[in-house]
Amino acid sequence: MSEAAVAGGTRLARRRRFPILRRLLRHGSFRIGLVLVLVLVIAALCAPLITNVDPTAMRIRFRFRPPSQDFLFGTDMFGRSVFARVLYGARLSLWIGLAVALLSGAVGAMIGVLSAQWRRLDGLMMRLMDALAAFPAIVLAIGLGAALGPASGSLIIALTMAYVPRTARVLRASALVIRELDYVEAARVSGAGSLRIVLRHLLPNCMSPLLVQMTFVFAYAILAEAALSFIGIGPPPPAPSWGNIVAEGRDYAVEAWWIMLFPGIAISLAALGMNLLGDGLRDVLDPRMKIET
Amino acid sequence: MRELRRLSLRFLNAVPVILLVAVLTFFLMHLLPGDPAVVIAGQDASPQAVARIRTQLGLDRPLPEQLLVWLANLARGNFGTSLALNQSVLAAVLDRLPVTLSLAAISLAITVPLGIGAGVIAGYKRNTWIDQSVMVIALLGVSLPGFWIAILSVILFSVQLKWLPSGGYVPLAQGAWPWFASLIQPAVVLALFQIGFLARMTRSAMLDVLDQDFIRAARARGVSEWSAVIKHAFRNTLIPVVTAAGIILSLLIGGSVIVEQVFALPGIGRLIVQAILARDYPLVQGTMLLLGFAFVAINLLLDIVYLLVDPRVRYE
Amino acid sequence: MASAAAVAIGGVPRSAAAQPHAGGTLVYANISGPGTLDPYVSGSLVELEIIHHIYEGLVEMDEHYAWKPMLASKVEASPDAKTFTFTLRKGVKFSNGKEMTSADVLASFQRYQKLSTNASILADADGFDTPDPYTFVVRLKKPNAVFLDILKSPTYPLSIMPAEEKDKPAREADVIGTGPYTLGEWARDSHLVLNRNDGYVADTSAPGPDGFAGRKTAYLDHIRYNFVPEANARVAALQSGDANAASDIPPELSKRFADRKDLSLLKVFPYCQQVFVTNSQNGPTANPLIRQAIAAAVNVDEILDATGQIAQKNASLLYAFSPYYSPEVAKPYYDQHNPAKVKELLAKAGYKGEKIVLQTNSNYAYMRDAILVLNEQLKADGINSAVEVVDWTTNASNMQRGTGNWNVSTTGFCSQPLLGPQQWRVMVYTFPQVKGDAELDAAYTKFLTSPDVQDRKAAWQEIEHRVLDQAYMIKVADLGGLRGYDSKVQDMTAYFFPRYWNVWMK
Repeated sequence: MSEAAVAGGTRLARRRRFPILRRLLRHGSFRIGLVLVLVLVIAALCAPLITNVDPTAMRIRFRFRPPSQDFLFGTDMFGRSVFARVLYGARLSLWIGLAVALLSGAVGAMIGVLSAQWRRLDGLMMRLMDALAAFPAIVLAIGLGAALGPASGSLIIALTMAYVPRTARVLRASALVIRELDYVEAARVSGAGSLRIVLRHLLPNCMSPLLVQMTFVFAYAILAEAALSFIGIGPPPPAPSWGNIVAEGRDYAVEAWWIMLFPGIAISLAALGMNLLGDGLRDVLDPRMKIET
Repeated sequence: MRELRRLSLRFLNAVPVILLVAVLTFFLMHLLPGDPAVVIAGQDASPQAVARIRTQLGLDRPLPEQLLVWLANLARGNFGTSLALNQSVLAAVLDRLPVTLSLAAISLAITVPLGIGAGVIAGYKRNTWIDQSVMVIALLGVSLPGFWIAILSVILFSVQLKWLPSGGYVPLAQGAWPWFASLIQPAVVLALFQIGFLARMTRSAMLDVLDQDFIRAARARGVSEWSAVIKHAFRNTLIPVVTAAGIILSLLIGGSVIVEQVFALPGIGRLIVQAILARDYPLVQGTMLLLGFAFVAINLLLDIVYLLVDPRVRYE
Repeated sequence: MASAAAVAIGGVPRSAAAQPHAGGTLVYANISGPGTLDPYVSGSLVELEIIHHIYEGLVEMDEHYAWKPMLASKVEASPDAKTFTFTLRKGVKFSNGKEMTSADVLASFQRYQKLSTNASILADADGFDTPDPYTFVVRLKKPNAVFLDILKSPTYPLSIMPAEEKDKPAREADVIGTGPYTLGEWARDSHLVLNRNDGYVADTSAPGPDGFAGRKTAYLDHIRYNFVPEANARVAALQSGDANAASDIPPELSKRFADRKDLSLLKVFPYCQQVFVTNSQNGPTANPLIRQAIAAAVNVDEILDATGQIAQKNASLLYAFSPYYSPEVAKPYYDQHNPAKVKELLAKAGYKGEKIVLQTNSNYAYMRDAILVLNEQLKADGINSAVEVVDWTTNASNMQRGTGNWNVSTTGFCSQPLLGPQQWRVMVYTFPQVKGDAELDAAYTKFLTSPDVQDRKAAWQEIEHRVLDQAYMIKVADLGGLRGYDSKVQDMTAYFFPRYWNVWMK
């Protein structure tokens, strides 16, 4: 990463924020991603306004109704509206994605930047990250999910632990470059303390890679929630999440295809939207960033 | 020589990581609620029966003692005996290794040429319709939930069209075609994500390299575009791609957990999931440890590849 | 229910012209593979259905799950129910060619006593005698009127193995039995092959097979068990011809058989009974009135409709063929859906909306679905219930050990209702965490010591009344099993365990 690009990038960001926003909005994939994500988020937030059907209300008489005017996405084995469930499921799935992105971003950034600044910490931290990374993310999540009990909260913690090592590595690499820049060096020479350097220089300048990284983690977390539901350790019913709707519907994949089709499409669109956003952010904020998550 | 010493140092560094993984796994497993003896005893078991099994398996001993026994066995190269399978952990893992390795091999054989090829072409034809369509497909690859695609694929190719077996594994010894047919569907599902991932990485690496002076110089010298790309750009693209390969290998292990479940493949992924769900402590611990070794070995291998591919690494 | 009725169900028909003949390999997609084939420590169904092809016991279950001699030709019980004399069939051979004598039986009983998970069934044994090579005698310290019923149990079966296996540790005995099949190739987690035992000595005194007893004939050369955990994959294997037989077919998938004339479904009844279990030691459900209120809220039809199980309503914890079956005792407690009664009981209990945790698991859909429906029913009747889903190991451990914070859970009992009160005994105490119920204790003592079957029946009525009245258990329904077969498989009949003797391939 060239120093001019990094240093210039943040100063630009500070002085002329709107041009960056305009450049983002001109970016094709960012625009599509933004629209996709916004539509899903608004649908999730406004679920009670869009449908007055309770997503957990069972109407056994109407089980397995195919999509029709009365049942937009059909009904499941309990006669619950798949449309209402997908709509409300967006809340849980997007929340898990957001929470994992924010948490792993915060923890990863802290570990990455601190290990870049305090070299003595570095060895230990990176060994720890290696140890965590030696567990495949999904295996770690299965174990932690079972240990912490069945709740969205434990799923968030498990997925966060799975994605922290990657975020920490990316952030550490960025921070190591920034650390050597002239003006950071100058600040150090003029007696700025380590903490000040971390807070004033390293963290703010790592924002771009962090933001990009978090967008991708968001997408992965949504996919992981679905995969874990499939194994049976996703968010517990009866509250719907996209993952557990697909998982519950998989035994009926041929006969009542609508149960697993619609939430599957929703998962794909959400992941697609976040990935597009991430691509756009990377192109505009940090065009030379090579390492994807 | 210096490089070799650095590498061996790195390898030694890995030993504490592996031990850490081992002990972490041990405690993580024993944190889980649920009693393996209940599962082994079966649905009709009385409390006496469950207690008897606990004693037979040594589960009634204090936790530190169990850890010490396990570590002592480990030092002698004994990974323990699975509670549920009644088989040594090493044998259980070795039994299933061919399945997962076959799956990984076929999936990589699809991923690497397609992923790199698509990335190189997209990078070379940047901002054309070719680039855009390749990238849209790559993006879909990393955005579709794997198990969902897997179930849809079984319905289409196995149930409706009857082209491929719906699940199960046929060893290579029983014929190359049956072996291949049993794995191609899961391997493709597994590869979808990786192709997308690799194509995106390769493309951005290509873009970086294509901008660099020596390519421009090559162009100026009148060397044809393609041979410049092949000779220089491609070679210089390899570094990030090798990094990607490392990530892909760990994705493979994670992805195979799901895919093996859907396609009833008796591989490592399914072994771990079953072991965790049945609280088969020694099996989970042993398997994680072996995976840890594999992980370290792969990273070491990648380091060696770095050295071979890019001499500049030596001066860093 | 509705989906099941739409499907043609019945035994696999035999074409008139074809006669049974030897040969062929039957491929069978089963949910998972065995951990061990040592019968004395085998409690899981997937292990047992293989084991009963390889091993046999002195007595076995017959077609109606009553005891019947198998390796014995005759069994005599003393009037005081303390001495049991088994006369062995002559000329029975183990698959290693050795003839079975009373020495093998003695060694088997001794090995069982030493290491079986279920060794407690021989805890009252005073001694074993082998007066001659074909006679074996068990002497008990205390009378046990149902000793032979206990011996017939197919779980942790007391199979007879060669005396040479006596000192082999648990799970390490060589797989040698007297049954119609022998163990072939076994790749754990993948597949297992049974080969026909050409030296099998059948019980020619019987006209034909009778449950696990009778005259068994092995026609198939090989039976290949493929372990396929996903239901979709098992059905797909059957549809694509990769398998001839598939176990545990979810009723929803039975529609896939409708347009396939060459595939048939076998409905197995009785299979298991689903019950709700209450935790009588934890929080609100420690109060019998609250438990009774929960029982009064249950609407069985709704649950059956929602879970879509192949099910039959039955108030009793036993089946009609049992000598102890007494539906009139169970009826008042069954399928009440009586909101007024719920209100009354809750008021009497002083219920203030304390949370009732309904725990279930993500591994068995029928359990999860029943709990989800129960949750709606309880909420509708003013009970503050909440669902908690854990994995099966945690769920089962919690029921077995009373750990975890749960008030109601559900499970399926299979061998207990089939085999009768002696088999229920441990479960009615363990799962609801019953402690210090003198009424239940007294009834069970009476059951075990009464030589007369009518007295035992009266004792069982007290037991069943107590269990249901205290709402330790709330009966849901009898669940059936669904198995699928292709048209090559002939003469497959419905039984609790799938049996492949007397089955042949066209």
